[in-house]
Amino acid sequence: MINRNKKIIVVLLISLSLSLIYYYSNYYKTHPKAYITNQGDNTVSVVDLVDLEVIKTIKVGIAPLGITILNKKNLGFIGNVGTDDVSVIDTRTDQIIKTIKLNTAPLSITSSPDESKVYVTDWFKNNILVISVKEMKVIDSFKVGATPSGVVFNKKYKYLIVTNRDSNTVEVYNKKNKLITKLPTGKHPFGVHTKGQYAYTANVYDDSITIINLEDWTTKVIKVGAHPYNVLTHQNLGFVTNTVDDSLSVIDLKIGKEIKQIYTGETPENLDVHRKLNLLVVTNWGSDSISVFSLKNLKLIKEIKTGAQSRSFGEFILQ
Amino acid sequence: MRKFILALTSLMFSMSIFAHGPTPQKVQESITVNIAPAKAWSVVKNFTDFNKIMKTRSFDDEIMKIKYEMLKKDGPFSDYNAYIIVKKGANDNESVIQWTARFYRTYKLNPPIPEGQDDATAVAAVKKIVEPGLASLKKALQSK
Repeated sequence: MINRNKKIIVVLLISLSLSLIYYYSNYYKTHPKAYITNQGDNTVSVVDLVDLEVIKTIKVGIAPLGITILNKKNLGFIGNVGTDDVSVIDTRTDQIIKTIKLNTAPLSITSSPDESKVYVTDWFKNNILVISVKEMKVIDSFKVGATPSGVVFNKKYKYLIVTNRDSNTVEVYNKKNKLITKLPTGKHPFGVHTKGQYAYTANVYDDSITIINLEDWTTKVIKVGAHPYNVLTHQNLGFVTNTVDDSLSVIDLKIGKEIKQIYTGETPENLDVHRKLNLLVVTNWGSDSISVFSLKNLKLIKEIKTGAQSRSFGEFILQ
Repeated sequence: MRKFILALTSLMFSMSIFAHGPTPQKVQESITVNIAPAKAWSVVKNFTDFNKIMKTRSFDDEIMKIKYEMLKKDGPFSDYNAYIIVKKGANDNESVIQWTARFYRTYKLNPPIPEGQDDATAVAAVKKIVEPGLASLKKALQSK
């Protein structure tokens, strides 16, 4: 009798763990998430993009700002400018698995397309730090122009593109970390975005964006709203966060003009899209929230409260 | 005593936050008055005292929000942008007036940050504008 009971318990335990594994593997497969760095309270809000609610709040280092998500490796890299380190999150469990010491303030983060390397802009000492994802440590660094702000990797040409906020330039490096060219932008370029043949900078003091053709190095300037922080493109549209106007500029990339502005929360800073779900997510620093828009009609679906001073500078959505 | 220790710890904690980084700072304060929002808004919108210290950028009657900016660069803070919004209070005759300021410390070079030029100093300087500003606004509202 005792033996039989034991058997039943074992069978029950096995089936319970199997169903738990099944549940969790499906859960993470079907639920894309946004990771929001909250610079005001040292946390990351994990937002389920199907249920549109915060499902977890993760304590990270002090004043988290930059972020990049490695979709194939299920990792998130978060830069903490107050503690000079990077928190690495496993996006399957949403736990911190490693903290990488940098000894300098990380501003912006991006990864190589194969997700083997992560690049971090070192705001104070004008470097780019290179982290090996396998080794989880800094393996290289190289000098760049003053006040490196945004950094992105262009897949087409394998270029690393960096904005220099205080010298009003954008720098383009090749995969050997050699400077190829340096071009003028509008005043105070902060966020940068790249897709295909183009790179885009948001010029805070000029209320404009600069579009750089990476083929022939020609540039074009488009006027947007007040104090733009970042820019993103999706198909034929460009979106720009106008921090002082509490709005997004919508740009028709074919005609190269702003076609309308849509309201966000207060002080919108950064933005990312979920391609399959057709969602555009904007972080609102002023209202401690994110605004989720439909990319089909550009209508607001929901504003979701996050931690304090939400920013998420970088690619913050797990596809 | 417990409250005091709690306050002290949180102060020390916030000091360490302010010690580093190119981080925008936020000062957000609000007052509550026994005046209907529409009436409060008409006072806020026309309160010219603020124009001695800040420049009006724009206002929106629909959401009862007025935006300001400050162009001066000689103080411990810079890139100052603020907005004041009037919201409905607990009942129809009560309004909450909230002032939110966003700015950076002026010193943006490498640490160590010189004394009196850190984030905490910038926050204190902005609070010296926001707190008496809201107090004088409250006076003007209550005299209506």
